[in-house]
Amino acid sequence: MTSRMTHYLKGIGEDLRRDWQLYLLALPMIVWFLLFLYKPMEGLQIAFKDFSPFRGIAGSPWVGLENFRTLLEDQIFIRAFINTITISGLGLIFAFPVPIILALMFNELQNEFGRRFSQTIVYLPHFISVVIVAGIVINLLSPTTGVINLILSSLGFEPVYFLTQPEWFRSVFIGSNIWKEAGFESIVYLAAIAGVSPTLYESARVDGASRWQMIWRITLPCILPTIIIMLIIRIGNLVEVGFEYIILLYQPATYSTADVVSTYVYRTGLQGTQYDLATAAGLFNAVIAFALVFTANRISRKVSSTSLW
Amino acid sequence: MSAVELNDVVKRYGALEVVHSIDLSVVQGEFVVLVGPSGCGKSTTLRMVAGLEDISGGTISIGGRVVNRMAPKDRDVAMVFQNYALYPHLNVAENIAFGLRVRGEKNAVVEAAVSEAATILDLTPYLKRKPADLSGGQRQRVAMGRAIVRKPRVFLFDEPLSNLDAKLRTQMRAEIRRLHNRMGVTSIYVTHDQVEAMTLADRIVVMNSGRVEQVGSPMELFLNPANAFVASFLGSPPMNLLKATVTAANGAAVARIDGTDDNPAQLTLPAWSAAALDAGQRILVGLRPEHLEIETGTVADVQNIPTTVDLVEPLGSEALLHCRIAGQPVVAKVDTPSDVQKLAEVRQLLMPTDRLHIFDLETGRAVNGRS
Amino acid sequence: MAHFNLYSRGDWIFGYANAALIGIFVLSTLYPFIYILAVSVSSGAAVTSGQVILFPKDLTLAAYEFVLSDRLFWIAYGNTFIYTFGGTAVSLAIMIPGAYALSRSRLRGRKFLNLMVAFTLWFNAGMIPFFLNMRDLGLLDSRFGLIIGFACNAFNVILLRNFFEAVPKSFEEAAKMDGASEFQLLWKVFIPLSKPAIITVGLFCIVSRWNSYFWAMVLLRGEEKIPLQLYLKRIIVDLSANDEFASSLMTSRYSFETVTAAIMIASIIPVLLIYPSIQKYFNKGITLGGVKE
Repeated sequence: MTSRMTHYLKGIGEDLRRDWQLYLLALPMIVWFLLFLYKPMEGLQIAFKDFSPFRGIAGSPWVGLENFRTLLEDQIFIRAFINTITISGLGLIFAFPVPIILALMFNELQNEFGRRFSQTIVYLPHFISVVIVAGIVINLLSPTTGVINLILSSLGFEPVYFLTQPEWFRSVFIGSNIWKEAGFESIVYLAAIAGVSPTLYESARVDGASRWQMIWRITLPCILPTIIIMLIIRIGNLVEVGFEYIILLYQPATYSTADVVSTYVYRTGLQGTQYDLATAAGLFNAVIAFALVFTANRISRKVSSTSLW
Repeated sequence: MSAVELNDVVKRYGALEVVHSIDLSVVQGEFVVLVGPSGCGKSTTLRMVAGLEDISGGTISIGGRVVNRMAPKDRDVAMVFQNYALYPHLNVAENIAFGLRVRGEKNAVVEAAVSEAATILDLTPYLKRKPADLSGGQRQRVAMGRAIVRKPRVFLFDEPLSNLDAKLRTQMRAEIRRLHNRMGVTSIYVTHDQVEAMTLADRIVVMNSGRVEQVGSPMELFLNPANAFVASFLGSPPMNLLKATVTAANGAAVARIDGTDDNPAQLTLPAWSAAALDAGQRILVGLRPEHLEIETGTVADVQNIPTTVDLVEPLGSEALLHCRIAGQPVVAKVDTPSDVQKLAEVRQLLMPTDRLHIFDLETGRAVNGRS
Repeated sequence: MAHFNLYSRGDWIFGYANAALIGIFVLSTLYPFIYILAVSVSSGAAVTSGQVILFPKDLTLAAYEFVLSDRLFWIAYGNTFIYTFGGTAVSLAIMIPGAYALSRSRLRGRKFLNLMVAFTLWFNAGMIPFFLNMRDLGLLDSRFGLIIGFACNAFNVILLRNFFEAVPKSFEEAAKMDGASEFQLLWKVFIPLSKPAIITVGLFCIVSRWNSYFWAMVLLRGEEKIPLQLYLKRIIVDLSANDEFASSLMTSRYSFETVTAAIMIASIIPVLLIYPSIQKYFNKGITLGGVKE
């Protein structure tokens, strides 16, 4: 036993000597991951503590699940959690199919130039920052000078205060997200479509299939694995919405529909310095996210042979 | 002193042993070809010599030094890869110079070596080109140039011609042999192509399932294969092997060819074999296609074997007859007569008795009474 | 082209309807940009009275003059360049060697290290612990902190690693036989061979650095270090709620709307300039590392 142990250790030693340059190359990145992504996990314990910055993490007393109990009794947190799921769920229903449809449409476009041109345009918003997107949205939806309201008032309607009325927030958020990302997300599906063998279409055409039938019977079934993978990723991210964008777009008047867990964490933790509560809220979210990805992957592995890892 | 020496070399991947105890000694300046079907361990053996694979057991020495734990770069060997491994971002000159550059050689030395190699390989006009702009044969030569400039003690070739088309392969084969004659560097060459092995090698090592089947000069192996595997591997078309049972008649050994025919074919075996065979022994009788004839030639001791012809493949001056003897398939390579149609009507093949090979069916080993 | 007899009439109608739908999508993608551009070069009076919908009115560069004369705009612009290019350089300098090492099967502990990288795709400590960690490391309100703290991400590492793994083994073996060290192998063989992947990752880094504002907002205190996006955010979002400031900007020549539009255009322009060169690569990048993990 001990001789096998020493043999094993000797093997490590020899590998280290032989590949020391390789380890040296890996070192900065490993240190980075430990320092910036793993060391913070140590800070997760403050979710179970009554944290005070003056006493530090180690000095603060344990309180068990007290913070989580506080959270679950906090109407604002509950609301934020429900909002998160609602916004994501609606996004899944309305935004998820758009890039798939776009990809199918691009694929059916015969004119090579038109196709390249329109793709170039619809990919563009992805590269624009959320700050600018928010600025554009604020501009377009302005009750006094915004185009939307100018059109509404020219049609005889009252101007709508889109950004201060809670019932409008989700539509504005999901709609502008589709504008920003749908084009770019279609790339994944286009790549999948490009992988479909052209002979499938040729033989279908010989058999007399229409273009519509070919979409339903060839293209879609062939890119189904990709769709499932993207769906899994989406479901895994169900509790993570683009909070950096929400922060720009929401205001106290729309909190009732716009406040999500991440913005709650940001407000209570970084603006309000209730670190323990905010960490607990973040951890709550992260654990649910992790469980979601795991389950989604399990299911997909059972349903089809597609899985993420 | 041998240039490369393998002693009891073993390669294991986990519990799976892929090379079993190889012994081989390569003489200074010799061109040795490792040949065998894919998966026989020949490439693995070469890569162990190169230092690209760990050696699980035994020792390998190069120039008298044991190199088992030595890094490839310190072994003083150079290798030509199957896909050439030319760096697409470097031009021909830079590709050839790469090995010298990474060793920090002086500019003047590198340039002199590159231009010398380019002259030898006729690459001088292409030195500024990128690999993508070269033909297959030129790329192959660049790969050799990269090995040459290093002036190594040993050249290793890993199926260097298998990416070329048939015509170019023949041409490059000759070029490699000429280069060897000129430079005289010890070479170990791996291929699955027995023609390459026959034409290039000073000595051939036939490998199968991780073992060495036979080592010898090309003609030795061709004329005296040590076993049925070597016999069927070398030669084109390969040697016919007929299953048979030994019977005794009139004091001589006779092979009764296995078959379903009512009238089984019989072959009288050479006189020397009688002592080495037992009655009832199961054997393989080997007939080289080019030794089978349809008309009586000059050879004295010839036997007639009844046969039926399935198919005639005319190759020009020669033709292949796909026949059956007692139901077992046999290929004969014969001179094409003026009337090719006649070949389909052949009813018997002529076989010189002393050209027969005999192998034990169970062990595959040659039955050899000649020595 | 001469395809028309190959399709039935139904297929032709389908084709036109499809092209029309794409046209609508393209126009609605393009319109907000055109609108912002039109607003930025119109007079403040025309915009506030609701006359600008598609074309500029009372063509003027007054809003740009106002923006370009703001000292903070230039500071923020300069900072963004530092964060973008400095950050990308640091990211590549850490991730390329790291991803290369992780791609080599001879690296002992490779499985564990790969798992360590991939795990962060699915779970991370979250906003507060990350912030407290940055504070403990003394990286608050620091340009260096903002650069180093976001140098790597698992997605890019995996993308690079997959590409390095796909490099034919014989390149490495040939270099090894030639006596190349690990560093030479990376520098002279793998990096030149992996240019597309490296450029892709570099462009991803550039775009994300250029566009990010959140952690700059959280980590930075003073005005001197803020990036352009944060400057934009302060003006567009924070001040749009501040009527006093908005009306202070109101003159007949420019208004709050034209000024914010001008800032937005000024920050989009660099993106538009590198956009054509990005395009070549992101297609590849997405298919490279996108779904395959």
